[in-house]
Amino acid sequence: MTQIAWIIPFFPLMTFLLCFIFQKREWHHLCSRVGIMTTGLALIGSITVLIGQMIFGNSEAVISWLSIGDTVFSIGYIVNPLNALMLVIVSLVSFLVHIYSKGYMAGEERLGTFYAYLGFFTFAMLALVLSPNLLQLYMFWELVGLGSFLLIGFYFHKAEARAAAKKAFLMTRVGDVGLLIGMILVFWQVGSLEFSAIFQAVSGGDMDSGMVTLVALLIFIGAVGKSGQFPLHSWLPDAMEGPTPVSALIHAATMVAAGVYLVATLFPLFEASDTAMLVVAITGAFTAIFAACIAIVQTDIKRVLAYSTVSQLGYMMLALGSAGYVAGVFHLTTHAFFKALLFLAAGSVIHAAHTQLIGEMGGLWKRMKGTGWLFLIGTLAIAGMPLFSGFFSKEEVLLAVWKEEHYVLFTLGLITAFLTAFYMFRLFFLVFMSKKIIPYKRRKKIFESPRVMILPMVVLALLAVGAGYIHTGWFGPFLGEWLASGNEYITLHPHEGAGWLMAVTTLLTFLGIWMAYLMYQKEKLDRNYLSEAFPGVYEAVLNGFFVDVLYQRTVVFATKCLGIVGTWVERYVIQGILHFIEDITILVTKLASKLQNGQVQTYGAMVGVGLVVLLLIGLMQGRFF
Amino acid sequence: MGWLTLLVFSPIVGIVLLLLVPSTQAKLQKRIAVICSILPLIMSIIVYQQFHSGADLSIRVPWISFGQYPFSFFVEYELGVSGFSLVLLLLTAVLMIVSMVTATMQIKKGWKQYALLTLLLEIGILGVFASQNLILFFIFFELTLVPMFLLIGKWGGMEKERAAYSYLLYNGIGSAILLIVIIVLFANVGSTNYEAIANASLSTELSMGLLISLLIAFGVKLPIVPLHTWMVRVHVQAPPALVMIHAGVLLKIGAYGLMQFGIGFFPASFQDIAPVVAILGLVNLLYGACIAFVQKELRSLFAYSSISHMGIVLLGIAAMNEAGLQGAMFQTISHGLIAALVFFLIGVVKEKTETTYITRLGGLSRTMPLTAGVLLAVGLASLGLPGMSGFVSEFMTFLGIFESMPVIAAIGTIGIILTAAYILRAVMDITFGKEVLAQQGIADLQGKEWIPVSIMLGLILLIGVFPTSLTHSIQTSVEAIVLRIGG
Repeated sequence: MTQIAWIIPFFPLMTFLLCFIFQKREWHHLCSRVGIMTTGLALIGSITVLIGQMIFGNSEAVISWLSIGDTVFSIGYIVNPLNALMLVIVSLVSFLVHIYSKGYMAGEERLGTFYAYLGFFTFAMLALVLSPNLLQLYMFWELVGLGSFLLIGFYFHKAEARAAAKKAFLMTRVGDVGLLIGMILVFWQVGSLEFSAIFQAVSGGDMDSGMVTLVALLIFIGAVGKSGQFPLHSWLPDAMEGPTPVSALIHAATMVAAGVYLVATLFPLFEASDTAMLVVAITGAFTAIFAACIAIVQTDIKRVLAYSTVSQLGYMMLALGSAGYVAGVFHLTTHAFFKALLFLAAGSVIHAAHTQLIGEMGGLWKRMKGTGWLFLIGTLAIAGMPLFSGFFSKEEVLLAVWKEEHYVLFTLGLITAFLTAFYMFRLFFLVFMSKKIIPYKRRKKIFESPRVMILPMVVLALLAVGAGYIHTGWFGPFLGEWLASGNEYITLHPHEGAGWLMAVTTLLTFLGIWMAYLMYQKEKLDRNYLSEAFPGVYEAVLNGFFVDVLYQRTVVFATKCLGIVGTWVERYVIQGILHFIEDITILVTKLASKLQNGQVQTYGAMVGVGLVVLLLIGLMQGRFF
Repeated sequence: MGWLTLLVFSPIVGIVLLLLVPSTQAKLQKRIAVICSILPLIMSIIVYQQFHSGADLSIRVPWISFGQYPFSFFVEYELGVSGFSLVLLLLTAVLMIVSMVTATMQIKKGWKQYALLTLLLEIGILGVFASQNLILFFIFFELTLVPMFLLIGKWGGMEKERAAYSYLLYNGIGSAILLIVIIVLFANVGSTNYEAIANASLSTELSMGLLISLLIAFGVKLPIVPLHTWMVRVHVQAPPALVMIHAGVLLKIGAYGLMQFGIGFFPASFQDIAPVVAILGLVNLLYGACIAFVQKELRSLFAYSSISHMGIVLLGIAAMNEAGLQGAMFQTISHGLIAALVFFLIGVVKEKTETTYITRLGGLSRTMPLTAGVLLAVGLASLGLPGMSGFVSEFMTFLGIFESMPVIAAIGTIGIILTAAYILRAVMDITFGKEVLAQQGIADLQGKEWIPVSIMLGLILLIGVFPTSLTHSIQTSVEAIVLRIGG
């Protein structure tokens, strides 16, 4: 059953080809159908593979792709618990987003192109997940980046969308270069890029520890870029310029999780280096709290969710860096569902309200109850409300950090949990509950979204509630056991639920919700108190701590300067030297031409001098002609 | 006479036929030129098949002899192919067809002479890659020079004469140095056959001197910074149809020469100056990319982009290992295709909008969506996106150079980011940028224009997705060179 895995990516590739060729308007209704059908097939295939993996275990097959001398680089597929799980997540979310887009993007002039790009992205993402070696992973890693680039810039008539697309591509490419270097270094150490060979070399001690650390850190740079970790995070909020279904698929559930997936896949490599693990954990924890702070003050519904994604990805990294392999993967899974749900619900709101600014919304609960409930479920899940999926996975993450005795990072994680509950409910209250009245004319135009958009959200909502039960202290750590069963290099750390931790996180969640309630619903606390007391700090947080400004003033500026200096060198130094040579040549020729003035006397004198010189040379050499 | 001779001189058919048609019948001439340019491709495909079926294609015929015993010299007419020159022959034949098709649409005046000179140029290029004897190589090499000079000078842009003279001067100096090298080798070895020279034992100093001369001679052609100014001028001034040939294959003679002669003749000396070559490559890569980043005009932007991409070839050569050399060869072919397609598109855009300034081309994806799409695709190929040819060569090159010179390699990876930066800046400003194209009703890619696009884009994707389709040819050359380095 797992042997069919390699076919799965080709279904969405078909969408790409078909929709690309038939992108004329009259084919639009077919494009969405083809898209939904092929991702549906991919989903069926993925589930089959998942079940197959559970019954028959791992499988792998490769064919040769490129050979250099005796070295063969192959492409193929591998099926293990981790990527079987990812496969289902990717194809499921993609399938739902395809359906949702039918409603959300209705009437779009370039619908065919949109579905083509979606198909291309899904293809690349599925193939990435199936990669049995680093090279294939790297190739599709770049291709998902392209898919993301194309979809962020889908509304290319907007300057912001263009800038965001370019920024996303370039910033992730900075990370990719790290990954590329890491990959090449691995190759020269191990002689192969197959995951199994790498793990063998690491566990067999064929790589010295310094090299392992270096390689792990370089590869981690790639993960930092893709997963929007600090300091390469700022492209992700900007990526919200893309259509909302795209944000749900790429910038919440799948591609941005690829960095986490990469670290998880190469977990044995990371685990072999304490330094690398610590760097991963610190980066994750810092990103988590950093982005959560920014999320509090954002005024655009999608940007709040984007910073929230950055923050949650930080959680996953924190878990992986604290040896919590299962915790990281678990949080990745639950996050994929509830964050996709939140984005789709936000899309539904935007679809109805025709704005993304929170300030222009408010009191939407009455007009769109369905979306409201779905958004609430997503909010509860991400906030870590007991019994919802986020509760279990977040607790697992924090537990892993606690067990690893990173107490500072643990505290950061706890604060982030509180902040998450706070900013998410701030968003919820402001959008759905706030009594602020939207002008009557506009409010009348707001309607619940069509069923084609609601249904995918319902599925995600069910998962956002239920996905937590695959790994709990109450019923059993099924996910953990299964993940460890398929990977001999992963050692499962027994994580008995610590009761007190559960109590603390629950308390913090309620505290966050309560504060948000007081501030934004009851308005008992002055929401502007802090921003007015510290306008400078507020300004800084609102602008994401000016990270972008810093990049603009340093890296971009430096590149431009180099270019201008280069042009200057080109124009004055190189051309100058050439002109100098030219002038000398002209001078010499002028001198030479002066000798040929037609005067026989001069010629005769020259001949005489020449003869004397020649004779002298002959004499000195002792030879005669 | 052998297939190779037929291949090299097959453009003569076109020349003769064109001469027979009076210059008034432009349509017929165009048809003849295009059809006749297919002939070399057919021949090179036959050669390709013969080569891979293991047939011996080399020809050796006594040609010139002079001097008296014991100082008698023989120059033989020798042709032969290696895996690398084989694909270069194919590349030449393919690009010649697409260039000819492009020319039928874009060259307005003096079509007949243009076609004649291009076919003559083709003989030169094919001969360069098929020669197995330095004297013969040199003759063909010079044969490319004259038609090119005339083509630039007559059909170029505003400063065509300046560009043509600049071309002639630089390449003339390069040829002169090459000639000196050939003479010295002839005097020392007594033969100009490649194999004989490769097997001859020369003193270390002499080999080093000759190698440095070769580096300059072919460095002009490649070009290596700071010998590149002529090339930028030619890229900007020459008609785009001609630049397709120029950037596509003519510049590649530099890469071919460095590998075939530089490493092939003087492997030990090359090992000694490999770090220098690597640094030159690094300079090419980064310097070209930085300048490309601030260019305002498309043709000069892609001229600097070519310089930057040739840096990768130099890095690959300097790596002196299988991965690096294979990467360098792969990059030579890959960039040939990409550059040709880029200049085809620039030609189309220039034809229809009468400008090549980036700021004046904004919003191209509204007026010419298909052109914009292809431009984006080739831009992505150029920045090394997996699935396209550029990625395979970059990967192999960096794999190679990281083994021998990790520090230089690490600095070189900055080039990957810079390339993405300048390509995206240019492509996005043009295709998606603010709409400034005033003219409505500009025709998009249509009809005949799809022939060059589909051929080149198809090949870029083919060797990007199935790199073995190319590497199984060049691998023999790589192995031969590596054997010489090792032995």
